[in-house]
This record gives sequence, C-alpha cells and structure tokens, in this order.
Amino acid sequence: MGKKTSKTIIVLILCICVLSALSGCLGGREINDLEIVIGMGVDKDKDTGRILITAQVVKEAAVGRSSGNGGGDGKAFWNVSSTGNSVFDAIRQITHKTGNRLFVSHNHVVIFGKEVAAEGLQKYIDFFLRAHEMRPTAMILVAEGRAADVMDAKPETEKFPAMNISKLAKSYGFTSHIYKVNMKDFASNLMSPASAALAPLVDTSHGRDKESRDINVSGMAVFKNGEMVGILNHDEVRGLLWVIGEVKSGVLFVTSPGGQGNAVLEIIKAKSRVTPEIKDGKIIMHIEVKEESSLSEQTTAENLATDEAFEKLQKATEEIIRHEILATFEKSRELKADIFGFGEMLHKKYSKEWKDIKDNWDEIYPTVELDIAIESKIMKTDLLKKPASPDEKEK
Amino acid sequence: MNVEKGKISDRQLLFLIAGFVQGSALLIDFTIGITEHQTWMVILAGLAVTSPFILTCAVLAKRFRGMNLVQINDMVYGRFLGKVISVYYIFFFLMTLSFNIRDIGELYAAFLTPDTPFIFLLAVFAATCAYAVAKGVEALARVSHLFVITGIFVVSSTFILLIDQMEFSNFLPMFDLPFIRIFQGIHIMSAIPFGETVIFLMITGCLDKTGHEVRNTFAGLLIGAASLLAVAVRNTAVLGKTQTIWTSATFQSIRLIDIGTVLTRMDFLIGVAQTVLIFFKCCLFFYALATAFAQLLGLKSYLPLVLPLAGIEVIIAATVFQSPIDHASITQSAGIIYSVPLMFVIPPLTLLIAGIRGLPGRDRGEET
Amino acid sequence: MFRYIFKKTRSSSLKKENNHKLQGVGQGNVCNVPLSSDLCKNLETIKGILHDSSDVTVHEFNFGHDRRSRGALVFINSLADKNEIQKNILQPLMFGSLLLSNDADMDFNSIESIRKNLVPIADTLIVALLSDLVGNLLAGAVILLIDGSKEALAVRVGKGEPRAVDEPATEAVVRGPREGFIEDVNVNIALIRRKIKVPDLCVEKLVIGEKSKTDVYIIYFKSVAAPELVEEIRRRLNSIKIDAVLESGYIEQFIEDNHWSIFPTISNTEKPDKVVAKMLEGRAAILVDGTPFALVAPMVFIESFQSVEDYYSRLFLASVMRFVRILSYIISALGPAIYVALTVFHQELIPTMLLISIAEGRERVPFPAILEASLMLFVFDILREAGVRLPKPVGQTVGIVGAIVLGEASVQAGLISPIMVIVVSTTAIASFAVPAQTDSGTILRYIYLALAGIAGGFGVIMGLLVTLVHLASLRSFGTPYLWPVAPLNLSGLKDTFIRMPLWTMSKRLYNEKGSDSG
Repeated sequence: MGKKTSKTIIVLILCICVLSALSGCLGGREINDLEIVIGMGVDKDKDTGRILITAQVVKEAAVGRSSGNGGGDGKAFWNVSSTGNSVFDAIRQITHKTGNRLFVSHNHVVIFGKEVAAEGLQKYIDFFLRAHEMRPTAMILVAEGRAADVMDAKPETEKFPAMNISKLAKSYGFTSHIYKVNMKDFASNLMSPASAALAPLVDTSHGRDKESRDINVSGMAVFKNGEMVGILNHDEVRGLLWVIGEVKSGVLFVTSPGGQGNAVLEIIKAKSRVTPEIKDGKIIMHIEVKEESSLSEQTTAENLATDEAFEKLQKATEEIIRHEILATFEKSRELKADIFGFGEMLHKKYSKEWKDIKDNWDEIYPTVELDIAIESKIMKTDLLKKPASPDEKEK
Repeated sequence: MNVEKGKISDRQLLFLIAGFVQGSALLIDFTIGITEHQTWMVILAGLAVTSPFILTCAVLAKRFRGMNLVQINDMVYGRFLGKVISVYYIFFFLMTLSFNIRDIGELYAAFLTPDTPFIFLLAVFAATCAYAVAKGVEALARVSHLFVITGIFVVSSTFILLIDQMEFSNFLPMFDLPFIRIFQGIHIMSAIPFGETVIFLMITGCLDKTGHEVRNTFAGLLIGAASLLAVAVRNTAVLGKTQTIWTSATFQSIRLIDIGTVLTRMDFLIGVAQTVLIFFKCCLFFYALATAFAQLLGLKSYLPLVLPLAGIEVIIAATVFQSPIDHASITQSAGIIYSVPLMFVIPPLTLLIAGIRGLPGRDRGEET
Repeated sequence: MFRYIFKKTRSSSLKKENNHKLQGVGQGNVCNVPLSSDLCKNLETIKGILHDSSDVTVHEFNFGHDRRSRGALVFINSLADKNEIQKNILQPLMFGSLLLSNDADMDFNSIESIRKNLVPIADTLIVALLSDLVGNLLAGAVILLIDGSKEALAVRVGKGEPRAVDEPATEAVVRGPREGFIEDVNVNIALIRRKIKVPDLCVEKLVIGEKSKTDVYIIYFKSVAAPELVEEIRRRLNSIKIDAVLESGYIEQFIEDNHWSIFPTISNTEKPDKVVAKMLEGRAAILVDGTPFALVAPMVFIESFQSVEDYYSRLFLASVMRFVRILSYIISALGPAIYVALTVFHQELIPTMLLISIAEGRERVPFPAILEASLMLFVFDILREAGVRLPKPVGQTVGIVGAIVLGEASVQAGLISPIMVIVVSTTAIASFAVPAQTDSGTILRYIYLALAGIAGGFGVIMGLLVTLVHLASLRSFGTPYLWPVAPLNLSGLKDTFIRMPLWTMSKRLYNEKGSDSG
C-alpha cells in the first residue's frame, strides 16, 4: 500500500528537481566566476564626498604564476574601487568593473579611513553586519590615512595585504599593545549606551619608499557613539588590556634594583577581576590584576636571580602596571569614553542604581575611583641562572 | 479502527519526543528578541508550566490505549462535538506544519542559499517529508534516536567550539526585564516547543505494549529541553547584547566559530543539521495531520491523503506570511493564541469528562 | 508485508501459462504415464520424447542365466561415465549373472531384485513413471530397463568435471581459509559439513526451474535459525516460477523483500567459512547447483561492512578497518556530490587559501563543475567496465591508459581541474572498499551528484534523508535492514562500528526483530 505513494513521491521530487534545473540556475555559482574579495576598505571620495569602496580581489591566475615561474607584475590581488551613495550601492557599482558580483564570504578585514571613522561608523557598518555573505569574524580596523592606501601596500612574505593586516591584528598577543576587534565585538560595543568601541589603527607611514611600504598597527582608535574621538597608543592599550584581562604576553621594561641597567620581563600570564562598588554615592572600581612573568633579558651585570632582586623587580613591575592602568584611565577621562566597559559592569551588578546613572554616565564616568591591587610574580629565568659576567665575589 | 497498523515501542517514543522538541531549537530565536539574556529561564519556566498538561496527555494516552486523538474525541465528546474538536486540531496541525515548512524555506532563503527559489525549497522539503510519512511512523520511530543524536552532537559541538568566545557575565543582571516580557516569553516557550507535543496523542495509539510511556515522555521532553537550553545559553553567552539584533541569533553565534581560520563559516553545516531536525519535526506533524484527517474521514489508510496534503501545505507555507518579520511577529503574538486551548484546555477537559463518564470503560475493545 | 512476492508470483505464473501452451503436446502427455512392461514400446516412447537426439544412447543387451532376459540401458552420452557403466552395470549383469547358479532365487524380470543383487552402485532409484524416468535421464542418470518390468532403474553414475576447490576470486583474504565454493553443489555442502559436525545442521532440497530442474538447498541450524525464517524462505522459494535457474542471482531477485530498492537485502558469498559464521548467527543459507555463490538471508546493512577477516585478526585493526570501510562507503556515495555542492554553492565553507587554489586550478576549465564531475565519473565507469570484461593483461593496459592519458592529459589540456581528478579517483578507490555495496554506492553517487548540482547542500541533505527513511523502512525477511542501529540494539552494536572482543559477543542476536516487528 505504501509502495505506490512513495514511488509517486520520488517521481515527484525528481520532476521538481529536473524542472527547476531546466528553468534556470538555482543559486549556484561556478568557482571560476567568483571575484573572491579578501578585504575591503571604506573611504570618502575626495571630490564628490560619496562613499568609496575599495575591494581587494584575488587574481587566481596570478597566484600560481607568482609562486611558480614568477612572471607578470607579481601582484596576486587587484584593488578595485568604486563610489556610491551607500556601501551596498558602491559594492554593486564595482560590478561594472569586475563583470561579476563580488563574492565577499571570504572577506577577512574591513578597513575604515580616518575621515569616515571620524564621521561615525554607525551608518557604514550596517551592511557589513546585515549581508549574509559577510563574516562577523572579519577584523575591523581604522586607517591612519586612507583605507585604500593601506590596502595597496604589498607585504613581502604574504601575497595579500588584507590577509596580512588581519594576521597583524590577530597576533596582538605577542605585545599586548593592540587588541583584535571583529565585527560582532564592534557591534556589541556600538549597541551599549555606555561603553566606547575600539578598533586597531593601521598606517603605512613608516615605509621607506612608495614601492615597499610597511603596514604597521600603531594603536587603537576610540569610538564614542560610533564616532572616532581619540587614539590610544601602545602603552595605553596595554593599560586597558590589564583591566579587561586580555593581556596574553608582552614585554615589561623594569629598572634593575641596582639601577645600573634594566631587567626585561616577559609576561606569561595575566588575570584580572573588576568588582564595581557603589559606596555613599561614589563609584569605586576594585581592580585586581595577577600577573606572572619570566626574566627574559637583562642589561646589567648584577645577578637578578635572587629572592631579594625578585622582590624588588616584582614591586617595580606592579608599579609599572599600575602606572599603565592609571595613564589609560586618565586618557579615557579626557575623552569621556568608557573604554573599560565600567558602565556595563555596574549595570550587571547594580541594575537598579544603573537606571539613574545611565543617562548622565558621561559626566559620572570621570568621577569613578579606581582601587588597584596588583600581584606580580616572576616565575622563571629561562636558560640562565646568572648573567654571563664575572662573579661578584671575585671582583 | 485506527488507520495506522505500525507499532512503536516506548523507548522509541522517548526519542520521538526528544527529537520533536529539538526540532524547535531554531524557534528560540522568536523568543530571544523578547526575553534577551533571560531566555534560558524562560525555557525552564515554559517546561515547568507545560509539564502538568503533558502529563495529562500522557495519562489520556494511557487511558485510551491504542486509540488516537480523533477516536478519543469521538468517544468522549460524542460524534458531533468530537468531530468539531478534531477539526480544530486538524486546523492546528495544518497551520503549524506550514509554519515549520516555511521556517525551512526562510532558513535557506535568508542564510544558506539566498539565490535558490523559495517555492522550490518548500516543494522539495514537503515532498521529502511526504515520502517519510508514506513510509509510516514505524520507519521514523526506528531512526528517531539518530535524529536525537544528531541534535545533541550539533548542540554540544558548537557549544565546545564556541566556548572560548563565551562571556558568562552576559547573563547578568539576573532579573532585569519587565515581567510582562518574561510572561510573553513563557507563553511562546510553553506553546511552541513543549505544547506542540500534543500531537503525540496521534502517535501514542501505536504504542505496542504497556510500559513506561509517562516516564519516557518526560525523559524525552527533558532531553529536548536540555538541548534548547544549551542553544539559548550558547547564544546569550556568545552574542551578549547583540543577540537581539540578528534575524537568527543561533546562526549568528555559529558564524562566529573560527578555529585556526580553517573551520570558519560553519553555518551551512549547522543549517543542514538544523534542517534534519526540522525535517523530523515536520514529519511527525505531517503524520499526525494525515492520520487525523484520514481518521476523521473514516478512510482505511492515510496514504491517499499524503500527496494532496503536501501540496496544500506548500501553498499555505508559501503564501501565509509576507516576510520573516511578519512570520515572527504573528508567531510571537496572535499566532499561538488560538493553539492554547488545544494544549492547555481540551486535554484536561477530555480527561475530566472521561473520568466522569467512566470512559473508555468496559466497551474498550469496540470500534468507534 | 510479503504482498510484493504474491504479486510477483501471480505475474510470473501468468507468464508461465503462456509458455506451457507453447511447449506443445510432446512433453505435456508424458506426465504421470506409467511405464509399460514391453521394453520395445518403452524405448520407442523414450526416443519419441527425446526427439531422437543424437547424444542419447540406447544400448540393448541380453542377460541372465541363459541370456534370455532382455534389457536396455538408456543414457545421455555426454553426461554419463561410460567406464562406470561398463564396469558396474554391464559386467555384473551380463557376466556376473552367468556365475549364479540356476536354482538361485533370482527373478530377472524384477528391477528390485536386480538392484539388490546385481548392481554394485549405491545411488540408484526405482522409477515407475515415464516423467520420472526422463527427469533422471536428463539429470545424467543411466536408465536400466528390463523387458517385462513396469519399473526402471535409474543409476546415477554422473560424470562431472568439478573444478578444484580454489581460492575465491572475489573474496581473497590475507588471513583465513583459502577455500571457496565451486559450481558443484554437493562439493559445496561437503565444504560446509566439514566445518560443522553436529546433526543440528539441516539441509533441505528443493528443485526449482521448469526446465533447468536446478537443485536448491536451504541450509540452517535447526536450533539457531528461527523457524519462521526458514518457513518464510521455503515459502518464497516454492512460489518461484521460472524456466531456468542459472545462477543464485535468479533466486535472489525472486525472493528479495523490495525489488525496487537499490540496496541488496540478501547477501552472497563464495566462502564456506563466511556461510557457516552467518548460519551460526541464525541466518539460513541457500545453495544453488551450478554456481559458487551462496545466498545468505536475512541481510542487514551493516553486514556489508563486516569482513570475515575482522574476526580472524585481532580486534584493534579490525575495528579501524571497519571504520575505514564505512568512511569509504560514505566517500564513494557522497564524494563528488560534496565537492560540487561546496564549490558551486557553499564556497564560504572552504578555507580561504584552499578556495583560492581550487579557483586557480579551475581557471581554464570550460565546463561547470557538475558536468566536469559527471564526465569524469562516467569515464571511470567505462574504464571499470572495460577492465573487468577484458582479459587480464589487456585489462591492465586499460587501467594505465585511463590513469595516465585521461587523468594526466586532461588536466594538462585544461579540460578537468586537478582537484576534480583527486576527488574522482579517491571516490573510485573508495567504492571498491565495500564490495557488497559497490552497486548501491555507484547509483547513489550519480543521484547525489545530480542533487548537488541542482540545489547544493540542500539537495544532498534531502537525498540523504530520503535514503535514510528508505533504509529504515526496508526489511530483509522480517529483520529491519538497519538493525542494530535502527531499531537500536545495544548488544548488537558491539559488532557494528567497532568489533568488540569475541568473548563479549556470546549472545546470539541474529534475527532479533526489534520491538516493532510488524
């Protein structure tokens, strides 16, 4: 009894499939018809003031050639740009130049020009979040100058500038001087009425000549309500990362106890805990940082691998970290931008009180007091027990 | 006389229910917009609210052994009123099934393959469901645990892959939202994933022997609820504040998976797994619809109805809503109001009347 | 549940009716005619029935004390062993009887007494009906007719040239017995009997085929096989109406559960040890004379991934190999489909650098991926078919030509992308890892490829769901095809994806029908 019906259904399914196949394409695109975009830049056109989108498209033919017999101009990418009234419009305008719709599923990085960032990203970022092909994991960056220039700079080892930039942003852990921010993180901060958003800042100014410019991540741009209001330099970024517990590694430069040189410490591990407290109408943020490091280099002859020296170095390290945090906080006070996300923390702990504070958080933020407790430990001295210098006793 | 001859075991019932509830995992997205980071509580509350009613259904099924919903209605309410109530149920099955089929269409049209024609997706999906339904509930029950395992695997693997992006402070502050929104969320939760299990009254008639059907019903429900809970927790922990802006928070959180830049954009794989789960749910709904209709019309077999019903379903699904926004807002508000009596009023009432009238009584074996 | 069989039987019996009409009267009136006591008349009738075929020898002779009794031997030249006839039939009759004393209580007109006293051959049968006589004659027996007797003696002195028991070509093993079945069914039964020495082993004989009269044996363990299973097999075998059974495949196609399924529901093997192992699990074997392939029923899907060597070798590698086989089957059915779905519909799933290198490889390819894949698969199937049919040395050449000329040159010419060559060749190799499902894998491969080309991953997943539901609804002689995976049987799973140690599998699980048997 079931036989007939199920056979009919199979025939029906086949019919539907065949008919649809005959009636035209069902959304498939051959891989060689794709214009694979790996990075995008958003600028303002200098003359017209319209939006200028630069898309970095992979030149498939050139990829093999440059790795093989090295013919052609060696560039495996094509920066194609077009202007439009909106991001989407401009992206569609690009098809006049490429002949194919851009394939942006593999877009790894979106770079905004400084001009655009200063104007406010709110209206530019929507398409990057909304379009189904876009990845929410794409890195978001701000160019010190124009995004198109950054995307032109061909790196020496990577084939594609965009991949290189996304790699730079992701490798923040070695210095903890910058921080990676992807689309979703940025959107999350944009949505919060209190927090300020951040994005790494790239520039090419350190290049030697026009042909081989280096791309360099020089700090972080601070956004308030989507508009770029300031810049954090490397040390200030680390001050921020200490608080939010995102320091992965990095170098601490401490004056040696003897004062003749420096001890260079590598951060191995850092943890932080922030507890907000509202006491007598005052907001106090208790920040606890626990840091572990190793002695990686020293520029003095004295033996630092002793308990006393460790004691002193740890004290000095704690001071440096405290200093970095306070400097960053000072900077954020000036900008009136809650880059630490203290507002959200208050919201989570004091949701009732938050309702009153919320509306004039900008004014209240600079009055927040910090209570910083830092615990630093030196865990190891790597391969040396002593420096390679004459023993102190023999002197 | 029951239209279905196939038999299922009570262990299979467990997996059928678990798979059915898991099939609603994507529908959590309807609630997230309302209940934000408290969705997980709403799921638990929804489960707690629904449990007594599901218990009622299980007791009904046990009391009227070997009979399906339409037969029970006929017996308890009499020929005429029973038929009216059954028609009400059939209408509910018809509409809910078309919503679910539409979900698949929207899933693909919005996220996975936006260039594929909507109606093509609906037609192929409905035809595939029809094939499974034509094979009978026995075949579905036999593979039910595979669907449940798929669901658990998907939920746990995405949970693990996203664990480093989770921020558990996103659940704070605990109680932030106005109660009315929580209430609305509980309503949706109790009506959609849990309340819809009322369709199992069409299937419990096939249980082959007395066993632990009440216990297994709840075990299945718990497995399903645990999966939903894991999905909700994952979404909130990963997306935090932004979970309300996406069309589908579930998909957005999966899009964030990035393992060594190789395992990225996994949304299609998860979408496929999701398709499989919704397929399972749709099959059960379709089966309930077809058997209820056949029983109502007094047919010997439901098979002649399968194809016409599939056609009707596709047409309803394609035309019932204008856009996903329409779909979501109707589902959130009006759409589930009419289904409330079917889940929360009629089963207890049936049980009450059956108790008073002493049904099914001694004349149990007789055919109605 | 078995209504398809009924249907089949009905339609085949209709066909047979027509055949009967065509066969004419010659044989039609043979049935149930008793022999007469007149030798000449009998011989005339027999010659008439056989249309005076030239290979039928009729040898008349006289015998007895005084050579007054008349007798005749009828046999088919090509089937009977003449040496045997001379030594063991003619010599005792013609010369041995002379040595008997005259007064001996010997009736030369009674077949019964001749059989008892004069024919030193064990395998004899007394026939009284003409149809039995002809049947035995055509099966290779020598017929002894005696004037004055209404009976005849069929002496089976069949001359066979059985092939030596050899290693089976299709199921070579590294470790395990090297013997395989041959065409002679008696030898095959002997091979099984030699492994199992209990009276429990039942051998039932049936004769199938209107014209071929093929011996078909059902072999099972009385105490292990379910009586319903044996009864069902017997019933289905008895309902077969066919002219000739030339291979066990004929039987298989008549008695399988679902004729429209691409999945086999009856397994076949050439290895006696495999048959015995399966019978010990409660299955029944069907041996057909004239073919080395034995059928075993019921079959479950997972059996295709089990090999006898899994049990002979230690469990670790066995479990790994089982996993490899399952994976191979998945690759062989889905490989090209997944490639096409990924590269045409879901490019975002491919890691960026891989996508770029695929795009680079496809740069010069003029065809869409689906066409490219179908072409390559089709060429592969041509190669396979050509390689199988050709003699061995030429077959190898075909392989080399296929690999080098088509693989290498088509990439060079820019017709096919290098990655497609990798995908198709992996698929091709994988398809041979699971011999029992090679057929279904090949068909599924084309179906999934078409679905992937039409609707990408959505098409493939719909195809997979239909396959899953189909497999779940399939039964083999009452056993759900996906057992023990669906319905779930936990102790059955010990020998499914991994092979647990043999001592853990002490329970017999063979035909556990699950709780949902219908």
